Amino acid sequence: MSSSPNHASNASQNQIVNVALDVPLERLFDYLSGNLSLRIGQRVEVPFGNRKMVGIVMGFSQHSDYALDKLKTISRSFDDEPILDETTFRLMRFCADYYQYPFGQALLAILPARLRQLKPAPMLRIFAYRLSPEALKCAQLQQQIPARQVVQRKLLLALQEGEKTEAQLKQLSSVWQKALMALMAQGWVEKFEWQASAPTHFPLNAQTLNAEQQAAVTGVLAQLSQFQAFLLYGVTGSGKTEVYMQILQQVLQKPDSQALILVPEINLTPQLEARFRQRFPHIPLVTLHSHLSDGERLHHWHQAQTGRARIVIGTRLSVFTPMPKLAIIIVDEEHDASFKQQDSMRYHARDIALVRAQQANVPILLGSATPSLESWQNAETGKFKRMVLPQRAVENASLPSIYTLNTATLPLQNGLSQPLIQALKVRLERGEQSLLFINRRGYAPVLLCSACHWIAPCSRCSSRLVVHLKQGKLRCHHCGHEQSIVRQCPSCGNADLQATGQGTQRLEETLVKLFPQAKIARVDRDTISRKDALSDLLDKVHAQEIDILVGTQILAKGHDFPNLTLVGVLDTDSALFSPDFRASERLFAQLMQVAGRAGRADKAGEVLIQTSFPEHPLFTALVQQDYANYASKLMEERAIASFPPYTFMALIRAEATQYRDVDAFLQLAYAQVRAQAKQVTCYPPMRAQMERLKGMERGQIVLQSQQRGALQKLLSQLIAPLRESKLASRVRWHVDVDPMEF
Amino acid sequence: MTNQVKISGVLVNKQPIRYTPAGIPLLSFALQHQSEQIEAGMRRQVLCELMVVALGNLALEIDKISEASQVIASGFLAKRSLKSSQLVLHLNKIEY
Repeated sequence: MSSSPNHASNASQNQIVNVALDVPLERLFDYLSGNLSLRIGQRVEVPFGNRKMVGIVMGFSQHSDYALDKLKTISRSFDDEPILDETTFRLMRFCADYYQYPFGQALLAILPARLRQLKPAPMLRIFAYRLSPEALKCAQLQQQIPARQVVQRKLLLALQEGEKTEAQLKQLSSVWQKALMALMAQGWVEKFEWQASAPTHFPLNAQTLNAEQQAAVTGVLAQLSQFQAFLLYGVTGSGKTEVYMQILQQVLQKPDSQALILVPEINLTPQLEARFRQRFPHIPLVTLHSHLSDGERLHHWHQAQTGRARIVIGTRLSVFTPMPKLAIIIVDEEHDASFKQQDSMRYHARDIALVRAQQANVPILLGSATPSLESWQNAETGKFKRMVLPQRAVENASLPSIYTLNTATLPLQNGLSQPLIQALKVRLERGEQSLLFINRRGYAPVLLCSACHWIAPCSRCSSRLVVHLKQGKLRCHHCGHEQSIVRQCPSCGNADLQATGQGTQRLEETLVKLFPQAKIARVDRDTISRKDALSDLLDKVHAQEIDILVGTQILAKGHDFPNLTLVGVLDTDSALFSPDFRASERLFAQLMQVAGRAGRADKAGEVLIQTSFPEHPLFTALVQQDYANYASKLMEERAIASFPPYTFMALIRAEATQYRDVDAFLQLAYAQVRAQAKQVTCYPPMRAQMERLKGMERGQIVLQSQQRGALQKLLSQLIAPLRESKLASRVRWHVDVDPMEF
Repeated sequence: MTNQVKISGVLVNKQPIRYTPAGIPLLSFALQHQSEQIEAGMRRQVLCELMVVALGNLALEIDKISEASQVIASGFLAKRSLKSSQLVLHLNKIEY
């Protein structure tokens, strides 16, 4: 019999403790408590084989399936307080079952890295610095510091913007500590313990809502005390963030209540964080994403888990953050593919957020200008309450006009058509900003031999190497392989190789030639690899120091550029004919998002899309900016083809150096599914779309059912015997439930 | 197999030097050839223009030769590209 939960085990009894470990097995492990006093949810160190591991105490029992003298004893316990409780266990049990993933691995994976290490992780004290009252009174502060003290002046300048943590100051200079000590000795700067709440000098007032926004706010506020999913479908620039904030304002009036806000992209967090901090200066707020240091992440996680932080803004993993007083969940850009985890436990953060809201009995708000068809379907059936924001929030701002430019008939100059060049020129003359969107970084996607049509391939993947001209490299964007650009064609010896097609670097080069006087900036993964590179660049855009932005999808989301009036889109046609049935849904969402960057303030925006297929229904719908119409068209297609959201899918993927091993394993899985399946359709093994990746041959089988339950039942019976099979040991394999990519 | 061409003429239509993705300099120009040849024991006029391409140091060298210079070009013939039937003289040596 188990002792009551959360009750400390009796130290003298040497109880049997059930511990969850990061081990790929479905069960908990039994240990003896020794003389430790343990509680459920506490972090412990246990011997496992010939090493030590971190585990979580899940419970206590009187009996074990193993002989008592075989059980090992827990080495030590960490931290004074349990870090997880039954609420999290319940959520993780659901995830482990639903995604067919070992519970212990799922549970340990949600902990910040520091809590997975074999050492105590006490609550951190983080220190920050601000100007002293004397410094604030001083009119010409910079002049008080000799000009040669460059670093001191730099630090002061930064602190004049507001308080800074050590981590933030560290980035300004390598000798920041010495300069800071000097400033403190002179009395200009003072040190204090940083709290998650950060009073700001510029509080942001609530904006007046239009009727639709008001209706959305009222709608959610009417159902705060129970689970209800809302779909906030608002066109780009319709003020969804303002709706979130006014809802939060009410929710957070209740003492201790906490709100969880999920954002798709790490690059969007600083922007959203700044707005929320300005709006809720006295409410402790933390962010959780992968750009934080391990120490910061632990600190923020602790703040959330102990209930001190009341607003948590984070990327997909933060959906699991324990929050004892969770009162509402908001998922921004809910359609975004980055909510889906693509390795280990392949969860979808939006779906987990829905389950979590249901378990916690709190409302959840999903916002998007182009909702996923899954959510759209749930709104159609009434499962979600749909709220619509049909117009832009800023007065006088209207949706941009969208036009297509037919590249089948218009001549192109290095990928640019004359009307697009003309439109760029007009913006330059008017002093307005433009954005050119091309979803391919590098110089050119293909290195081609004109003499024999050889194309530089990746040796490890079924992909082509991308030319990065300035670096003199060929790179595989799938596996990271990099090599020098070949001097001649390895097939025929010709040296006059052609970099073919357009990438961000080449487009930037073309624009520099066309508009030598313009200030042009390129934004892709290569230019923003430095931690603050993107925010520095965005600052420049806001300061009107940039005329033309060239970039990938990094620029598509969320950013607000009031003076940007032209968006040009290049080279998106390949997605129109992708074998992935979600490709057109994603392309529409992406183009809608990127089009939404134009004309967000009082200046009218224009969007020019270069395509060889201007009559494609996707562009027709895009030009009319009618997502609802296009969504219903896509839904019809999905219904006819029996694709999600009308059916539920799971994939079993396998890879090995030899395809025959992959095939043998998948044939076994296929045969077992066929033997058991009722109500589940399974297709024979096939090669993945990307046949080879990182030197591995890949294959998969697709399982599909009208009923989620039937699919779940089949998977739960299928996976354990597959894990045991001999063939499984020759391949790497996993299950992907509700896969997003094929 | 043999593939050798030696031909003199006037260097015209010299293109700006460009570089292959691997950074090898490349320069193309046309050679205007005019001569008298014997064919089946008969004297005849020859007038033709040939596309020429030079790579590497040779490209840099030709970049310095002024347009309309008289030169003797030696090299081999290759198709302009896979789908083209046009021939291009690839330069091994130039005398001027």
